[in-house]
Amino acid sequence: RELTLNLSLRIIQIRVTGLLPSQLIMLQASLTDERGELFQSQVFYKADENGEVDLEHAGALGGDYVGIHPMGLFWSMKPKKMLSRLLKRDVINSPFLVHLSVYDITKPFSSSPDSLMASETVERWYSTPGVQRIQLKEGRVRGALFLPPGDGPFPGVIDLFGGIGGLVEFRASLLASHGFATLALAYFAYDDLPKNLDVIDIEYFEEAADILLRHPKVLGPSIGIVSVSRGAQIGMAMATFLKQVAATVCINGVFLAEQVVIKYRNEKFFSFSQHLERLRINELGLLAFYSAVGNPQEEANKHGLLPVERAEGHILFIVGEKDYSVNSKIHAEQVMEQLRRHGKNNATLLSYPGAGHLIEPPYSPLCVASMNPFIPRPVLWGGETIPHAEAQEHSWKEILKPSYSEVLHFSPVSPG
Amino acid sequence: MVQLIVTPETALADEPICIRATGLNPFQVVTFTASLTDEKGKLFQSRAFYKANEAGNVDLDQAAALGGDYVGVHPMGLFWSLKPVNPFRRLLKQDVMNSPFYIQLDIFDSLLLEDSPKIHPKASQMIERWFSGPGLQRIPVRNGRVRGAFFLPPGEGPFPGVIDLFGGIGGLIEFRASLLASHGFGVLALAYFAYEDLPRSLLEVDLEYFEEAANMLLHHPQIQRSGIGVISVCKGAEIGLAMAIHLEQVAATICINGTNAVHETPCKYRDLVISPIPHQKEYTQIHVSGALNFRRIKGDPRDEVNQQSVLPVEKARGHILFIVGEKDECLNSKAYAEQAMEQLKSHGRSNGTLLSYPGAGHLIEPPYSPLCFASWNPFLSRPFLWGGDIRSHAAAQEHSWREIQKFLRCHLAPSRSKL
Repeated sequence: RELTLNLSLRIIQIRVTGLLPSQLIMLQASLTDERGELFQSQVFYKADENGEVDLEHAGALGGDYVGIHPMGLFWSMKPKKMLSRLLKRDVINSPFLVHLSVYDITKPFSSSPDSLMASETVERWYSTPGVQRIQLKEGRVRGALFLPPGDGPFPGVIDLFGGIGGLVEFRASLLASHGFATLALAYFAYDDLPKNLDVIDIEYFEEAADILLRHPKVLGPSIGIVSVSRGAQIGMAMATFLKQVAATVCINGVFLAEQVVIKYRNEKFFSFSQHLERLRINELGLLAFYSAVGNPQEEANKHGLLPVERAEGHILFIVGEKDYSVNSKIHAEQVMEQLRRHGKNNATLLSYPGAGHLIEPPYSPLCVASMNPFIPRPVLWGGETIPHAEAQEHSWKEILKPSYSEVLHFSPVSPG
Repeated sequence: MVQLIVTPETALADEPICIRATGLNPFQVVTFTASLTDEKGKLFQSRAFYKANEAGNVDLDQAAALGGDYVGVHPMGLFWSLKPVNPFRRLLKQDVMNSPFYIQLDIFDSLLLEDSPKIHPKASQMIERWFSGPGLQRIPVRNGRVRGAFFLPPGEGPFPGVIDLFGGIGGLIEFRASLLASHGFGVLALAYFAYEDLPRSLLEVDLEYFEEAANMLLHHPQIQRSGIGVISVCKGAEIGLAMAIHLEQVAATICINGTNAVHETPCKYRDLVISPIPHQKEYTQIHVSGALNFRRIKGDPRDEVNQQSVLPVEKARGHILFIVGEKDECLNSKAYAEQAMEQLKSHGRSNGTLLSYPGAGHLIEPPYSPLCFASWNPFLSRPFLWGGDIRSHAAAQEHSWREIQKFLRCHLAPSRSKL
């Protein structure tokens, strides 16, 4: 069978034929990541009267998901070694190889070996052909710029990840595959940047925005931001202080300057609102931070609130209601309320029941907990498998919506 | 000087204790930890963060934990929130007579998320949690086909006799039997497979084996003659219910998170064979943790095709106490218990009671046992999900244990004539 090239965002069709009517089968997807970690999903289906299982129509009976979910094998994969997070490092030169197999199953989860009936390998790429990656090291700014194929100019976007530090590139390369010139921007624990995040200096991010806007293939006069977690806190601050920012997507952020000082020029924001004694440990020993982060409504925290009413562009808040690391809903709602009080209506809130903290592009497996290099215990991100997957699909479409790009005065080039 | 005062330092594992710290700074945030190494060398730990009062004291009977493994006022929280450092290990005392669980309680004058060799506790106390009271006797049983361990309280007796049955992991689990015996019952922890010369796997349930055990117990000189009790969980509870129905020796039965029908393995008694409702493992679900959830693999006893497997609970002569955890992820115990109660009612019987605990999981054990949410299973390659919310589960354990003893004393009273 030939290999099939696919952008990791593409829906693929899976159909099994040649079975006996009502035959019980197990479908399995396996992936080995760049560190050699195995991720797998297993699902049980019953063939129809024609001896077929078509994932467009067939409902899974059990396994890593139930019900009709054509892409379920991808987003329900779990690491063999608990707490591993699936994160593509090389986003240009290699795909993830996903091995899909069909097994004849008489007794699920029994000790006897299952018989393999057929298999296929699918490639999941994080960039389309022609996307360029340019390492960025200019002034203080460190990161990687992803340019779509062609001459452009393209709307510019800064992509910010969170408290794991370093440089996470896979979402930036996917955005570039959708026609955005995207700068994956590092801000700590990368190259010669500070090892720890003690101060968020928005002037660093302004420098990055200006570098992006100066690039000949980037369309001005303003940029967009896609940001998650700690990155979303920064994204909100950028939206607040920088005129260059026209559209900001904030996924599960805390918009209070807690734990870290946020500064821009001669303004500083901070409130000592972190209450680590309120940390919770769940039944599997995982650390839930959400009650340890200060409540933005409390009087004591008012010096940490950002003057969000100064933001001129549009803000899209994406919130997972089963986020156990931050109570993203109350933080997003507090900003919405603050904007309303100042007579502004430039923000939208999308709240997803059942979604956790790590809302990523579609078909990414749910990472419900993982080790963070700066925290001694595994961190609980939360989320329920099926609603989280649906939230990823829906929110990605919202992020890419033409109305959003219109704010950037350009319509995106569709991926090749 | 910081002091950690624990009373009593030595107690039965199902008894509460008082924990107090003094000599702290007013309003200081402190960390209490409990550490236990089990008989296999596996470490279990719990921690909670408290704030001292203005006098520099923390009394766990009154103070509310702010965070950690539990929040709120829970004097025994450090015990029932113990967790294995390597996930999916179950805490289970093997030797119930000769040694206790040793638990080290520590207090630190800072917020401590993880143990550190550089940070020492301000005060420590080692305590002992025993699974047998003074004078309790353990007698290994190898009588006829019967295999198990018999626990006899000190004194003349006669004592009410109880058979204790655990579930699908097989072997012999003794800790509940020894604790119950420490409260004045003569308890036979009964194995039925994967133990000594018993069958390696459970292929059928032969009630005559359990009848042999019941008769053996009743004929013991220090056991009351009027009828025995059964305390049973999971697969044991399915068997317990069958015993209540078919064995006239059984006067009182406690079924914890069991079924009201025969599943997977046929059940026989003399000429009667009850065919089982087969498991359908394709309905197994995989939890986010990777653990297997078997809750949906058991067929519905209400289906037409399964009627011959439903246990005729209305035929039980004695009393039945159903104990159910509503967050049981191993089986839908609430539905099964409710169906059994409904069946009793429709036959005009009133000898059943149902105690349903919201938030409790499958493994409802004596008080202060840590919640085992999921654990490795000798028959599966993945961990097995039991379910439960820690705090509600702990409360269910405390309440149900009192009810269990009340129920047994009431229905096994010597004044009652043989049923």
